Amino acid sequence: MDKKNLILKKLDEDVRFHEALSACMNCGICTAICPAAEFYKYDPRAICNIVQMGNVDEIEDLLKSDTIWYCGQCMSCKTRCPRGNTPGMLITVLRKVSQELGYFTESEKGRQQFAIEQIVGKNIVNFGYCVHPDIVEPFMHPEQGPVWKWFRKNIESVAPRFGAVYHQEKAGALRKVDDNSIDEIRRIFEVSGGNELFDTIEKFSEQKASEYHQNADHDYLMKVYTDNSGEHSK
Amino acid sequence: MNTFDSIIIGAGPAGLKAADTLANFNRKVLLIDTDAKIGGKLNLWDRLFPDFSSSQELLNQLSKNINNENVTLKLNTNIISIKNNDNHWMATDSNGNTFYATTMIIATGFDVFDAHRKEEYGYGIYKNVITSVDLEKILSGEVSIETPSKVAFIQCVGSRDEKVGNNFCSKNCCICAVKQTIELKEKFPLTDIYCFYMDLRMFGQSYEELYRRSQQDYGVNFVRGRVSEISPTMDNKVVLKAEDTLLSRPLKLTADLVVLMVGMEASKGTKILGNQLNINNTDGFVKSTDRYLSDSETTLKGLFVTGTSKRQMSIPETMNDAVNAAVIVNNFLNTL
Repeated sequence: MDKKNLILKKLDEDVRFHEALSACMNCGICTAICPAAEFYKYDPRAICNIVQMGNVDEIEDLLKSDTIWYCGQCMSCKTRCPRGNTPGMLITVLRKVSQELGYFTESEKGRQQFAIEQIVGKNIVNFGYCVHPDIVEPFMHPEQGPVWKWFRKNIESVAPRFGAVYHQEKAGALRKVDDNSIDEIRRIFEVSGGNELFDTIEKFSEQKASEYHQNADHDYLMKVYTDNSGEHSK
Repeated sequence: MNTFDSIIIGAGPAGLKAADTLANFNRKVLLIDTDAKIGGKLNLWDRLFPDFSSSQELLNQLSKNINNENVTLKLNTNIISIKNNDNHWMATDSNGNTFYATTMIIATGFDVFDAHRKEEYGYGIYKNVITSVDLEKILSGEVSIETPSKVAFIQCVGSRDEKVGNNFCSKNCCICAVKQTIELKEKFPLTDIYCFYMDLRMFGQSYEELYRRSQQDYGVNFVRGRVSEISPTMDNKVVLKAEDTLLSRPLKLTADLVVLMVGMEASKGTKILGNQLNINNTDGFVKSTDRYLSDSETTLKGLFVTGTSKRQMSIPETMNDAVNAAVIVNNFLNTL
């Protein structure tokens, strides 16, 4: 199957695609309510229109662009659409196809998939947390301020003062997630295709890293984590 | 027993015109309305599109023959059930009175969409959000307001909107807004007016020309985009959020006054009677037998339908439809 048919086939095979977009009249109410559209060069109505028109070249450009990665998946658009569409869910589908075909490595925002897979994705299967203080490295999170470094150093004495049970096997914030639960999470990722998606993202990201003559685990990871063209906002 | 040739339920434009026409055929007509006065929704409008003629003047013309000996008018009468018995129609009101006739014409019309249902537009929450019906009172001078500096019109409120269960286009709001923007500009020449639309459906004679005049001669701005929500500002104005879809840019507009162009739903009475007799469409309007060939007939013998109880119509369309219904009813009576 040629690439163009493959894109359409992949969209068509995703049940969410038909749920997300059936008939758009380009009223723009989704863009009007969209928080991302206020800041980014992002227009959910225009995306719906491109997909609805069915021009595969334009859809392919979309899959390779920064555009589909601006959506915050808040689904505000769903609450407003007078035709019952959900542009935010269309974005979900476009992202999945972009991941599966490796097109995400063609854009700056898309390449960040590798960082989020390596950090948030791996955290879930390793620790049972998307975000956990042990993993939020101060040098990668300057927005946390200098206090973050201090907090991490003194976490064992500070955490209980907030009622947290850091690394302990009892109920409360920052508790250790028990091994049985971790096993369950891993099985969920295995049977639901989560692990396969991780592998796909890693495979295409490694290819891209080698194009840049970088090692994926560190240099490329830091590149995608920090690159900012400054061209994203309006 | 009160027996008439025809009972017409609803004394709005359709009912009045049908009664008038049947009376001219020398038919005995009982014209019933739940309101205290005749005219129905015509009373809500001051002037009519596209020629700014007076609605009260039209109503006077229509009601001229109501005192004709052939027409009996019953106001304040709420018909709650219609039945057919041995080829006679019976209409019973909420006080238990029953009226009898050979034929029955449903002219129960439409209701204006209740703008409270689009909560995101803040009708009933922000005092500067009003409906097109409220605006008529300002335009007629019945209600006075200070000169607004910016006014926004929002089209399709309660129409073309799955979220309120109304997929239909109310079709009259587009041109009604054009009429109202011009009237508002004549009243307040310095006011800036923005009209938010999805499509401007100028289907009638000289509608498009009026739309053009509103732009050319009155400087009304038309923005293609549906408004997502309205919120208040610190200085008692409101902010609208929309996308200018022709520029692909989201926008915010601060306005002193917002006019919601409320659509036309099947009226409560239309829904009740249509349901009872099983002759309504899923949208609540009464279904005629065939919109091309027998648009005044229903599937029930001797029961007819006219005007906006069938679908959204303008006043001239309603007039023609009512005459048509009256002719069909008269022909039916001749065959008996």
